[in-house]
Amino acid sequence: MSTETILRTINLNKRFKKRWAVKNLNFEVKRGDIFGFLGPNGAGKSTAIRMIFSLIKPTSGDVEIFGHSVRKNHSQALQKVAGIVEKPDFYLNLTAYRNMQIAGGLTLGKIPSSKSIEHSLQIVGLADRSKDKVKIFSHGMKQRLGIAQALLCNPELIILDEPTNGLDPQGMKDIRELIIKLSKENGVTVILSSHLLHEVQQVATRMAIISHGEIRVQGLVKDLLSENKDIHVISVTPKIKAMKILKFSSLVNKVSLQKTEIEISTSHKNIPKLLTLLSENKCNVFSVYQKQTLEDYFLSVTSEEKLL
Amino acid sequence: MLLLIYFELLKTFSKWRTYIGFITVSVVIPVVMYALYYEGGGFINAQTRSIQKEFFMVGNLFNGWVIAQLIMNSLWVHIPFLITLVAGDQLAGEAAAGTFRLSLIRPISRSKFLFAKYFTTLIYTALLVIVIALLSLGLGLYFFGSGDLIAFAENSITILHEDLLLNRFILAYALAILSMSVVASLAFLFSSFVENAIGPIIATMAVLVCLLVISNLPVDLFENYKPYLFTTYQNAWSLAFKDILDWNEISRAVTIMISYLVGFYSLTLLIFIKKDILT
Repeated sequence: MSTETILRTINLNKRFKKRWAVKNLNFEVKRGDIFGFLGPNGAGKSTAIRMIFSLIKPTSGDVEIFGHSVRKNHSQALQKVAGIVEKPDFYLNLTAYRNMQIAGGLTLGKIPSSKSIEHSLQIVGLADRSKDKVKIFSHGMKQRLGIAQALLCNPELIILDEPTNGLDPQGMKDIRELIIKLSKENGVTVILSSHLLHEVQQVATRMAIISHGEIRVQGLVKDLLSENKDIHVISVTPKIKAMKILKFSSLVNKVSLQKTEIEISTSHKNIPKLLTLLSENKCNVFSVYQKQTLEDYFLSVTSEEKLL
Repeated sequence: MLLLIYFELLKTFSKWRTYIGFITVSVVIPVVMYALYYEGGGFINAQTRSIQKEFFMVGNLFNGWVIAQLIMNSLWVHIPFLITLVAGDQLAGEAAAGTFRLSLIRPISRSKFLFAKYFTTLIYTALLVIVIALLSLGLGLYFFGSGDLIAFAENSITILHEDLLLNRFILAYALAILSMSVVASLAFLFSSFVENAIGPIIATMAVLVCLLVISNLPVDLFENYKPYLFTTYQNAWSLAFKDILDWNEISRAVTIMISYLVGFYSLTLLIFIKKDILT
């Protein structure tokens, strides 16, 4: 994986009246990354993306893209960038083809070739609808058109804000595969903001979790998930008795009682010994699993924030 | 820049509201023509009744030029309203539709984007006035024929020979385009504040009506302000129908109107460059 940083936010802040939407945001995206940008609703993801695209002026701080400051040199910084910000909106009275011409023309400074427009539309399966006005398009079709306009002009960085919103399962799968293909075959760097955690887990190589306008964690997805690998969840009865046993066991580092299960921190190799221990003490174990999904990790990070 | 203007023209002329103005004048002007044709010379007789005892009038006084000049009086309020429908929608419409997120994430400067929009607004304004000119002069001269023009001013009546009239009308319509452009610029400015087009349309018309009242009230209190109000020059076109053209007065009117154009546009630019796109 490349170590070249192509996007960097530097102490990025945004305040709307008295409320800080983004606080001291610092993250980096390396060339070739599929960067998952996660956070609960209202966490500041969209505000951050809008600042990257210069739709919103930061209260302080800056964004550097390909070494150019978005604040000082917006045109240079965005030259090789494309994307979708929230839901894709278009000029509804114009055809899909005309909308593509406008999107491409604003980037290139000239009308893009018919071939490139048709190619982009073909990738998202809209080639046969290019002459239709966008006002008759469904939400899913607009979403695909949004991706098509992002692919036009061969950008090196694509920022996709909830790109699979409104798509059917097949469409979602197609987009995921497309993102991986763009990254692997074309070397395109992708920033993927999504609330669908399994989606990010399937495609992202690096990620950041934002909550209350601040980055809580960031790093390689595999590293972040492995930090969580010692967490195991046990479904056992009676719970209180099992809790006491596990708490006094030298094999367990940490025990916490969840709604229906017990969460323990221990090495995976200790699990058979612990199961024997529980069984000898007449506890009934129904299941044990390793907690390592992105969703679990996301919830643990964002719930820590709530407790704080 | 030409490409940006081309895109703005595409966007503007793809909207139904753009054609409301053209359709309205295309319907209203023939209806007015028909009504006047039906009325016959009654209208001109009524207008000249007070001087008929002193003057002996011959020739076709109820002609196409007179009709065209009469229609120009719609430039006070009616045509400005049609212009604000489009000008007030230029920025607010994009904000409401969320399409700033399509265009402003591109590597183009906001100032260029704004200028293309503004220039398109001025093209629309000019086109509407030109369509009015072509319809009223074309139909007027076709149905009512040519002749001298009786121009009614505040306290005088000027009779202009028909040989002079084409040039005078060209000057009048040029001044009308300029005064309508000021109205369009005001609506464009208001359009930069909000996320729906209704606000700018209502605000522009409210300002226009208020200032028109002040401009036309014969009250000493306002006399010092009147020369600086753009509404005072709303009928700058009538300067083209004076017996002898007063170029000083025309230049002053043009200077004031251009100052307003530059002022309104500069203010819009200042607002738009700093504006957070939240829709």
